[in-house]
Amino acid sequence: MLFLSLLAFNLLTFVEEISIGKQDTLDLHQIEVFSMPLDKYTFGQTVKTISEKDIKNFQGQSLADLLQQRTGLFLRQYGPGMLASLTMRGTSAGHNAVFWNGLPINSPSLGQSDFSILPVGGFDQATLHYGSGGALYGTDAIGGAVHLSNKLQFDKGHQVKINTVFGSFGRWNQSAAYAFSDHKFSSRSRIYRNHAKNNFKYTNLAKIGTPIENQNHARVEQWGVMQDLAWKISDKNLISSSIWWNLTERQIQPVMGSNDRDKQEDDNLRVVLDYFHFGSGKVWNLKTGMVRDHLEFNQSTNRTAQYFLSGDLDWDLGSKWNSKSGVRFTYIEGNLSTYAATDTRLELYQSTNFFPTESISLSLNLRQLVYEGNFAPFTPSLGGEWTVLKNENHQLQLNTTISRSFKVPTLNDRFWVPGGNLDLNPEKSLSGELGLKHDFKKGDFTGSNQVTYYHMSVDNWIIWLPNGSFWSPSNIRKVKNSGLEYFLEANQKLGLWTVGVQGNYAWNQAINQTNINDNDRAKGKQLPYTPEHKIQFKASVEKGRVETYVNHHWVGERFIGTDNTTKLSPFGIWDSGVNYDFELFGKLKGGFGVQINNVLNTDYQVLRLRAMPGRNYQININITL
Amino acid sequence: MKQLRLLIGFWALSLFIASCDSGTNEVPLGELEQGVLIINEGNFSDRDGDISHYNPTTGIVKNNVFEIKNGRPYAGLVQDLVETDGRIYVVANTGKVEVVETKDFNSIGAVSQGLDITQSLVTANDKLYISDWGPYDASYNSPDSYIAVVNNLNGGEISKKILVSSRPSGMFVLGNNILVACAADKKMQVISLASDSMTESKDVEGTPVRFFEQDGKLYLFAKDPGNIYLHEINRNNRNLTLTVKIALERPTSNFARGENGELFVITSTGWPEYNDAVAKVSMTMGQVLDPAFYTGFGFYGIGYHPSTKNIYIGDNNGFQGNGTVIVVNASGQEVSALEVGRAPSGFLFK
Repeated sequence: MLFLSLLAFNLLTFVEEISIGKQDTLDLHQIEVFSMPLDKYTFGQTVKTISEKDIKNFQGQSLADLLQQRTGLFLRQYGPGMLASLTMRGTSAGHNAVFWNGLPINSPSLGQSDFSILPVGGFDQATLHYGSGGALYGTDAIGGAVHLSNKLQFDKGHQVKINTVFGSFGRWNQSAAYAFSDHKFSSRSRIYRNHAKNNFKYTNLAKIGTPIENQNHARVEQWGVMQDLAWKISDKNLISSSIWWNLTERQIQPVMGSNDRDKQEDDNLRVVLDYFHFGSGKVWNLKTGMVRDHLEFNQSTNRTAQYFLSGDLDWDLGSKWNSKSGVRFTYIEGNLSTYAATDTRLELYQSTNFFPTESISLSLNLRQLVYEGNFAPFTPSLGGEWTVLKNENHQLQLNTTISRSFKVPTLNDRFWVPGGNLDLNPEKSLSGELGLKHDFKKGDFTGSNQVTYYHMSVDNWIIWLPNGSFWSPSNIRKVKNSGLEYFLEANQKLGLWTVGVQGNYAWNQAINQTNINDNDRAKGKQLPYTPEHKIQFKASVEKGRVETYVNHHWVGERFIGTDNTTKLSPFGIWDSGVNYDFELFGKLKGGFGVQINNVLNTDYQVLRLRAMPGRNYQININITL
Repeated sequence: MKQLRLLIGFWALSLFIASCDSGTNEVPLGELEQGVLIINEGNFSDRDGDISHYNPTTGIVKNNVFEIKNGRPYAGLVQDLVETDGRIYVVANTGKVEVVETKDFNSIGAVSQGLDITQSLVTANDKLYISDWGPYDASYNSPDSYIAVVNNLNGGEISKKILVSSRPSGMFVLGNNILVACAADKKMQVISLASDSMTESKDVEGTPVRFFEQDGKLYLFAKDPGNIYLHEINRNNRNLTLTVKIALERPTSNFARGENGELFVITSTGWPEYNDAVAKVSMTMGQVLDPAFYTGFGFYGIGYHPSTKNIYIGDNNGFQGNGTVIVVNASGQEVSALEVGRAPSGFLFK
């Protein structure tokens, strides 16, 4: 009721504002094409953006590699370039929402994204929302959300970018982009091809004598075309659009001891069109889009398409209130190898910021989704930030949020033949977190520390269990997740030198609360392939055009089964690199980089018996005209 | 007389030494040569199949005996465990056979190239005959099934593939022939050991699973959704001579042979109730004695311990973690529950 009242209040007030015809206050003369800020209604929550340098260094590689090597998040990787699913705060692969320019791109049939086929270069910015985000983003965002965005610019004239990566094991990534923009129109076209043979050496533990062999049947080939457009119709109106076609053909790397020769082709088309109307302190956004996924595994074909239409009003009411009210309609079609189904979803959402004092900021988010006539759990979240201390050198901030999230059962969960279960309930969660952030600045030193403790309960967790000759899903599991996230960033300037440190630590306990039968021994145990600890840190030294770095990520032990009787050893990987930026003839700019990955040639497995490469080398060259 | 006493003394001493000597020649059985070996099939994505050992006297279960002995994971989905010719063959349906020593599971060989979806193994004429479904086609059928021949009991290269009907599983060496149960095509086929080629093919009522002997007679177990079939095979001409058909709802391929012509067959109602049961069947009476001798969920393998007369039932615990072996007595009462490896699916009683 409160939710509907707030929505109605905002819409009525908007009508009133329009009628009195106030002057525009939003500055549309900025260079960057406008997009809705992702963190506006996230007070009390943790939102981090991947650095531009890391995006640049990982061009052509997968987002999975970037997140595994540069964050505290853990990805279950089935081999280099193979399926990679993300776990956030100890939740499952389907418990994080992934957005591309505001469109949810998780597969509606699988309920998750494969981060290995999202190439860095297919977006300009990656933003990570840690923790429950159902009220802000809708289904799936139980453990968090990942936002991939394009950042188009005006008034840049003609621009050509070429990026080449050569590396070990047959890696050759090539991309080219042409952009043109004036003060009203902006266009960018990009094309890329990423290739890797993945014929690295590994110790075959499955064979007598554990011989060292060359990995075969693990080749990855990827092509993509992207087109971004933006048109500033007037100072009050803007249209922007992006199209992304991505095709990945993979030989599926067999598990050690297997002679499997599976092949997979993923053909993804994503289209988004935004219309923005800027009023007095308000932004109207009408968004429509399509996400079409075509997955072919051997000869089995699975097609899904999602169509979106949404509208919202983002509005600043004086200096103390912000509000966003919106509605999103989704139509999903699935033509899978064993069934065909459709799903219609409607969701209403309301976000409100309130600033009672200069040091306190509050966000209230509300969302109600209805799918096929079924009400998903109503999801509110309430968060706040309190700046406890602020002076010339220090800023100390206390953050807290309490929120609910949910996940609508996937198409496969409901309709797969045989085994799909139409009686499934949405998975739901309740979580709370408390964090402290300290920013420090003195002279040429800047530093930032952030620590967050969270606790979450996930109920109605869906798992597939054998039912005679086939498997079927049930709302059987309840899991309590708790843990701690720590973020560190510090930079010291020493004359012409800059020394930087960046780090992450994640402690995730994901404790199963249920046994599936009397003989099950899963209750009270950590979920499989969910490391309790992950550490990542990077140290860099920069002088002028040259930067060198060393990066380390360490992943703790992972249990293989729910009863925690068998586990994989922890592993730590060191990477290093050097980058040099150059400029020729005044107009040609570029960069040259050399990276050594897995410097110590560590033999490791992220998942059991899935071979990973040893020491490998990579050369990056990029040129901008 | 003195010499005679000396001679008798020497003779007695010789006898004593000889008796002591014969005692030292007795090699005690290895730990794994007694008790129960349990096949843990493993989880499909983790390929964590291995073998457990259970000592019924001490009640101690040791898991992962292959990995512990050999310092590497078995790395496959174990489909069968065959003891013959002083060796144990650990057969994986992920395309390999590991050969280990009976006494301690020390690895002595393997067949690791050229197999696809391996099911079982027999030995004859110092050769291995390995049943294999062959690769799946686009519709997950198995049109290229075969019996692989390896000319060395310790494994190695495949010398020949004998094409047979779709999905061969159980085999039996009968004289100079091997009988092969081909499940998908519902056939029993005969391979001549003289020519290493398929020489006969016979239709089978029901889906044939595997062969067993009872009271000196040879049978082929088969099933369909409403019956089990016990086809008696003429050992001379290999014809299916007599069939006992017993009505039993939803039998699985898992059965164990008890005493006095009794069989214990796992049944499963399937979706949506998914209730599993062990049915007690009398071959001699040709009827089901008790369709719910023992009931539960996730029954994945069954065995009959001939000396304790207990029935061992593998519970896969939904493949989420390690499985459980439920030991029940002749009255169907649970005696104990053993924590074993992933997806216990079969037993070798020693």
